[in-house]
Amino acid sequence: MAEIDAAGRSTREINAAIRQSIAEVGPEITLRNPGARHNLAVAILENARIRIAGSAGYYCGGLNDGASIEIDGSAGWGLAESMLSGTVRVHGNAGSGAAAALRGGTVVVHGDAAARLGVSMKGGLVIVAGSCGYMAGFMAQKGELIVCGDAGDAFADSMYATVCYVGGQVANLGTDAVLGTMEPGEIEHLEETLSRHLPLDLRKSKPKACDFKKVVAGRKLWNFDKREWRIWQEAL
Amino acid sequence: MCGIVGYFDKTGANAQPLGEVLLRMLEALACRGPDSAGVAMFGAHRPNYFVAQVKLGDNGNNTDRARQVHAVALNFGAQEFSQTDSYLRFMFREVDDLKPFLLSVESVGEDVEVVSLGRCLEIVKQVGSPSCLEQAFNISKFCGSHGIGHTRLSTESVVDLSHSQPFWGHGYPDLAIVHNGHITNYHQLRRRYEQHGVRFYTENDSEIVAMFLASKLKQGADLRAALASMVMELDGSFSCFAATDSAFGFVKDPFSFKPLLLAETDSFVALANEEIAIRGAIQGDYVVREAQAKEVQVWQR
Repeated sequence: MAEIDAAGRSTREINAAIRQSIAEVGPEITLRNPGARHNLAVAILENARIRIAGSAGYYCGGLNDGASIEIDGSAGWGLAESMLSGTVRVHGNAGSGAAAALRGGTVVVHGDAAARLGVSMKGGLVIVAGSCGYMAGFMAQKGELIVCGDAGDAFADSMYATVCYVGGQVANLGTDAVLGTMEPGEIEHLEETLSRHLPLDLRKSKPKACDFKKVVAGRKLWNFDKREWRIWQEAL
Repeated sequence: MCGIVGYFDKTGANAQPLGEVLLRMLEALACRGPDSAGVAMFGAHRPNYFVAQVKLGDNGNNTDRARQVHAVALNFGAQEFSQTDSYLRFMFREVDDLKPFLLSVESVGEDVEVVSLGRCLEIVKQVGSPSCLEQAFNISKFCGSHGIGHTRLSTESVVDLSHSQPFWGHGYPDLAIVHNGHITNYHQLRRRYEQHGVRFYTENDSEIVAMFLASKLKQGADLRAALASMVMELDGSFSCFAATDSAFGFVKDPFSFKPLLLAETDSFVALANEEIAIRGAIQGDYVVREAQAKEVQVWQR
């Protein structure tokens, strides 16, 4: 297990030290004194396990491909943006744009997420144990988005084929977002997913899988039809 | 960009001077706004007295200007004059109607401006970094209950002292704001206020936030209601902190365009648009979260 102290180092130096440590010492790293610095552990392409002992700033774990990154505190904007594979877990809250353009892997937030959670995600799994803010899932294309608490305004607006589950209240559904019905086995799948990714005590305090609402695209915006101009007028 | 910070001491017995906390927060956001830096700090109440900070001019020797403003201010019973760089600071007995005072002082010269006025508000701002601000005004020694600060990256208007933030809610004692974002219906609102005789001192769209809140408070709204009405009446992006002698709060625009982080414990509230500013200034174990779209929160002193 290697330890890297972020204090007094530039972001470039910290990220270089992480890479060097993976190559020379091994895949386990603890980053001390992160101080909510930006761009920590970005574009890690190895199967490393990185613990950030504190809060991270913007874009932590962005472009990650394989690493498992755990943040003890909270994370700023653009957490795990465009991640390809791996896991990013935040014990605190996440800022706006968490898991934006996610392509694969898993993002778990134990606290709340702010605006634009999982916008334009193209795959992967996003789990928020708390609530999420405005416009989560906007134009999301694939993958799963699970919010155990409440969802903010314009939830799942203009979505393609991401499947969303919400345990609490949805402030209001976005354009072309509709409530779906659970398929056979889907509740079990949801329960299994939540149990696998959330710690037991946290899972216990959240709604049961059968009480989640499913939200999917109404598919009205998938193809343009000029007879349906009203929908488009509203959407644009 | 722009860096914005705010700190509110709930206990009334902060071990650290307010100015020092704000300075540390601003230094962490110096790279977010290299053009200018400023703070608005609220100290002890001075019953029956206003403190004014008057900008004498932008360039060169301000000695003549200082003498002229001094002479005018004496007509209002001003005392305890002190001059620092471009500012003349003095106290004068509280009046109900500020208009005659403001008109007289600001008619001394076109670029003479009352930058700050109130019973416990003190605004200082200037072109340059937070450490330059500290060198000029020694803000880290200032003790008080709450305050806000700003580092500016100018995008649409000139870089000078007047265009820097925080803005005083001109004409309304003890109101100050800092703003990160763009107000896109600025020109429309400005025209409307100008038709009602409000004078604008800058081309900075953030100034409209100060004028807007001052106008709401004058009409009798409290700070929470005034901030909430920004969501309805201002367009564009805003993460905004506002403070008066008795209240401290924030508002975020409906699209959540700009970041706004907050940390609240039993002893303090800290606000900034990057967590790095909060962690850099305040040690200890506390939770930070991003505010939601349209969120308004106000704390009372």
